[in-house]
Amino acid sequence: MTTRILHVALRDFLATVMTKGFIIGLLVAPVIGGVMYLVAPWLFDDSRYQIEGEYAVVDPTGAVLPAMSAALDPGAVAERRMSEFRRTLGDAPEAVRGLAEAAMRESMDDALGPAPDVRLRALPADADVEAAKAWLNEEPDGPRHTALIVVHEHAVTAGAAQGLGSYDLFVPPGLDDRDLDFIHDSVRDAIVDARVAARSLDRDELDALLRVPRPRSTTVSPDAERETVGGLNTMLPMAFMILMFLGVMSGGQTMLTSMIEEKSTRVVEVLLSAVSPMELMAGKLIGGVAITLVMLGLYIAMGLVLLSTFSLFGLLDPWLIVYLAIFFLIGFFLFGSLMLAVGAAVNDMTEAQTLQMPLMLVLMVPWFIWPAVSRNPGSTLAVVVSHLPPLNSFGMLLRLGSSQPPPWWEVWLSITVGLASVVAAVWVAAKVFRIGLLMYGKPPDLKTLIRWVRAA
Amino acid sequence: METAIRMTGVTKTFGALTAVDDLDLEVPRGGLYGFIGPNGAGKTTTIRIVMSILFPDAGEVSILGHGSALEAKDRIGYLPEERGLYKRMKVRAFLRYMARLKGADEPDLDTRISAALERVGLPGVEPKRCDELSKGMSQKVQLVAATIHRPDLLILDEPFSGLDPVSTRMLRDLILEEHARGATILFSTHVMPQAEEICRHIVMVHEGRKVLDDALADIRSRYDPRSIQFEPLDPAADTGALGAIPEVEHVREADGGSEIQLREGTDPAAAMRRIMETVPAARIELTRPRLEDVFIRIVAGGASGDDEDRLRAALREPEGEEAPA
Repeated sequence: MTTRILHVALRDFLATVMTKGFIIGLLVAPVIGGVMYLVAPWLFDDSRYQIEGEYAVVDPTGAVLPAMSAALDPGAVAERRMSEFRRTLGDAPEAVRGLAEAAMRESMDDALGPAPDVRLRALPADADVEAAKAWLNEEPDGPRHTALIVVHEHAVTAGAAQGLGSYDLFVPPGLDDRDLDFIHDSVRDAIVDARVAARSLDRDELDALLRVPRPRSTTVSPDAERETVGGLNTMLPMAFMILMFLGVMSGGQTMLTSMIEEKSTRVVEVLLSAVSPMELMAGKLIGGVAITLVMLGLYIAMGLVLLSTFSLFGLLDPWLIVYLAIFFLIGFFLFGSLMLAVGAAVNDMTEAQTLQMPLMLVLMVPWFIWPAVSRNPGSTLAVVVSHLPPLNSFGMLLRLGSSQPPPWWEVWLSITVGLASVVAAVWVAAKVFRIGLLMYGKPPDLKTLIRWVRAA
Repeated sequence: METAIRMTGVTKTFGALTAVDDLDLEVPRGGLYGFIGPNGAGKTTTIRIVMSILFPDAGEVSILGHGSALEAKDRIGYLPEERGLYKRMKVRAFLRYMARLKGADEPDLDTRISAALERVGLPGVEPKRCDELSKGMSQKVQLVAATIHRPDLLILDEPFSGLDPVSTRMLRDLILEEHARGATILFSTHVMPQAEEICRHIVMVHEGRKVLDDALADIRSRYDPRSIQFEPLDPAADTGALGAIPEVEHVREADGGSEIQLREGTDPAAAMRRIMETVPAARIELTRPRLEDVFIRIVAGGASGDDEDRLRAALREPEGEEAPA
């Protein structure tokens, strides 16, 4: 019996993994990931964007416009960029900083992108703002008309009745977000400069007083200390859930397709002369697990290599991998056996899509509850979901990967519940499987499926 | 003699349809049994019950001394009516797979596969993919799959369907070879002359019930000849007068002459004399009872000629699917 099951499993395994489609499919995700990793910085490189245009400024304070002019002067821009660069060098040795600055001067535009090229047009303090708005949509002779900035009268010094003012901004249609950000930064800086000057303070000194660099926190555990990795409490559960979802979905679909092919080509009756329906189903489930483990094994290995590359390997508790394997097997056998039953009950993929819809919907639920569970792993929702089959595998994995893992007894209770649900699912699936295998014609509805389960 | 297949009171229903009705069947070891009946008679359902692919609602089944074919699958070869191969699998891989499922994983398996393929007229097809084979070739490959493990019991469901005359002859020889080797053979067909040509024993079913279970020789002796092939000397002669002869039950036009059916208990020699007196004969021949005639006699009983014609037409229809639903 065992030998026959293994023969079925081996055939299904080889028939899938030896195909070009599987190998290509297996490599596509990591290749796309790798390409994106290499290409994304270039694709999404904002530093190539040229900030340019003409800003019309109404400045009743008389202090903001000069500050803006000073800030947007090409020489001042270059100096500011250099000082920002120096700050990013931080604690690098003096020699290194010297070399870096020398190189920076030569290729400032390459490193930080082209410097902003902005002209300012000063409008009278009592200018007609409505008329000025029309200027934004005029066809320019020179640089494009990018913004109309109307500084509030009390932007620099507070009025008697109200506090400090701000400014109004008007822009033409279709202006890029990066222009808006630059305009706001420039105007804010100019207003702050004007306010500081009005109070006879030193801006540099003030900036220095306000600057408190954020330190990298260190996570201290009983055994060791390591640098805290931000976002790990949400990333790790998600990674686990994606692995689980990928495994169950792709393995389940592979088995479903294979079952439909065997039924439609009528090879199934030949098989049933050699193996019992239960042996056939068991062989297919084991073959499906093996196929999926090849895929998951590759992805997990790649993940571990990435973690070790960034010296984050120690963040991963080995028990998490063990639990991932246990809950994956529970989830796979549960959904896989039901997928096989669907494959045995239908005649083609179109019919299968209708019948597997409820399973697909159940598999979507973890995506909806993931944010809530990973943010609050001790909540009632998280506890219920991590013990409620068929979602408990996903729910418990989310909690296990979170910052507040559940106690061990909860994990093993969930495993026990999961195993019981697997037994129930395989029992139901086996009944549908045995009767459905030789049924052709109209696909069964829910009522018929229930009758099949009650029969035999 | 030891029994290969024993079914007692087996009944199987699908909804309102009773596909197999209180069937008793006993096939001894070494037997060569034909399981015959028109389409929809319950042959495939019975065979699936024998194979434990379906389970009876009532009755008992014993296969090669076991309570279920599941316990003796390695000793059974089965060619189902619904033929099927893995399209993308190569012929050798498919046959290896089937042999291994049947526990035949000997070192000389590949040699045996090649020899078996050569025996069925398919030398050198081992590296071909199954979807490259014609329908006839696929059928032969499946027959090899059913026999590669040298089964003690070989069950063939409509094995001749879709085969050309040369392949039909080859398959007939192969069945006889398997029988000579010692295998018990049960094969179903709705084409009764094929069973007549090969089998030693006939089991006939109709509408799920067994209507005949006897050795072919006994059937022939029991069902005395009552059919006469007649050709008039004068092709324009009125053969309608033959129907008026008291010994004649009815006359049917057939193959340029007439087929005359005699009444039960009639002396054939006296009847032939009277026929020749009525219409001078170019040829008159007393024919042996065919299984088809036996079937019609059993099933139709005293039915009209129209009912007989309908039954004969049913026996000559191409094989159809016996859906278990």
